[in-house]
Amino acid sequence: MKQSKDPFEAAFEESPPESPIETEPDPDADTEIPISNSLNSQPIHTNEEEEEEDNHVKNTSSTTSINTAITTTKNNNNNNKDDEEDEEEDNMDVELAKFPTAGDPHKMAKMQAILSQFTEEQMSRYESFRRAGFQKANMKRLLASITGSQKISIPITIAVSGIAKVFVGEVVEAARTIMKERKESGPIRPCHLREAHRRLKLEGKIFKRTTSRLFR
Amino acid sequence: MSNSAAGTSSKTRAASSQPSEPSSKRRRGVFHRELQHMMYGFGDDPNPLPESVALMDDIVVEYITELVHKAQDIGSQRGKLSVEDFLYLIRKDAPKLNRCTELLSMNEELKQARKLFEHDDENLRKTFEDDADG
Repeated sequence: MKQSKDPFEAAFEESPPESPIETEPDPDADTEIPISNSLNSQPIHTNEEEEEEDNHVKNTSSTTSINTAITTTKNNNNNNKDDEEDEEEDNMDVELAKFPTAGDPHKMAKMQAILSQFTEEQMSRYESFRRAGFQKANMKRLLASITGSQKISIPITIAVSGIAKVFVGEVVEAARTIMKERKESGPIRPCHLREAHRRLKLEGKIFKRTTSRLFR
Repeated sequence: MSNSAAGTSSKTRAASSQPSEPSSKRRRGVFHRELQHMMYGFGDDPNPLPESVALMDDIVVEYITELVHKAQDIGSQRGKLSVEDFLYLIRKDAPKLNRCTELLSMNEELKQARKLFEHDDENLRKTFEDDADG
């Protein structure tokens, strides 16, 4: 992850004013440090992280409006950086910054209240959560190879990327729940992922093969 | 059949993008780097195990494949895939549906904002040219 962290941090440093949410933690960063020094117990942090991540995934309308702003900026940033069009990037960041506030001022205030109390680890994890996304080019290629047709419209790419990201979140959360049940710790192992996949299938969240099984 | 073809074609494309390593060993998958960040963001270790990432990659590709095949079955009448097919398929899954609609509306707003920006840019250019000429 060290290799990927440098461009990651560089990207973060290059484009700080992505949204009011991410600009606000900068003045709040000064208050974060004394808080993280005072809170030394780690188990509590991990629980908070998991709860907040559950909330992030389950609170659809509130955080998704902000999530989409950040993730779309990030996706656009990735594509634009590949194309070396930095000027357009800044303009899009400024324009996007206006949208989340126009939507839900209540939820914005809630989010900022939560964000101001994040520790550094929580903040970096939250930042990864917001910024991570599938590359449009890779997704387009994959979709074209699945459908067999060459033209995949951009809204389809965007929609499938969003669906896939939420799906990854569901699987990872289920895997973490399984690890808690088995009282294991550390990185997620493939056996957890397989068990999580099996449970999601039982719940019906994963599509079953529609090919008729009558005449196998 | 089309599943395996899609899988192998995507993997060979990933392999061809990195010609320095032998293609038989280079099975990093389609979404290796992004998945690492994503899994960390959703609760995994800052350094997820490579086997976990590879398995997650397969799971996601299989999910997307199933999704697209189902969408094709639904939208086959139109002959072309459209976004509404996907929205119909995930209608019962509230987080995914809301996320999708938010993303698509954001895209629309971005498009309009970009159009406005270009329009203003052109107007500015025209006024400057008029001033320069006059």
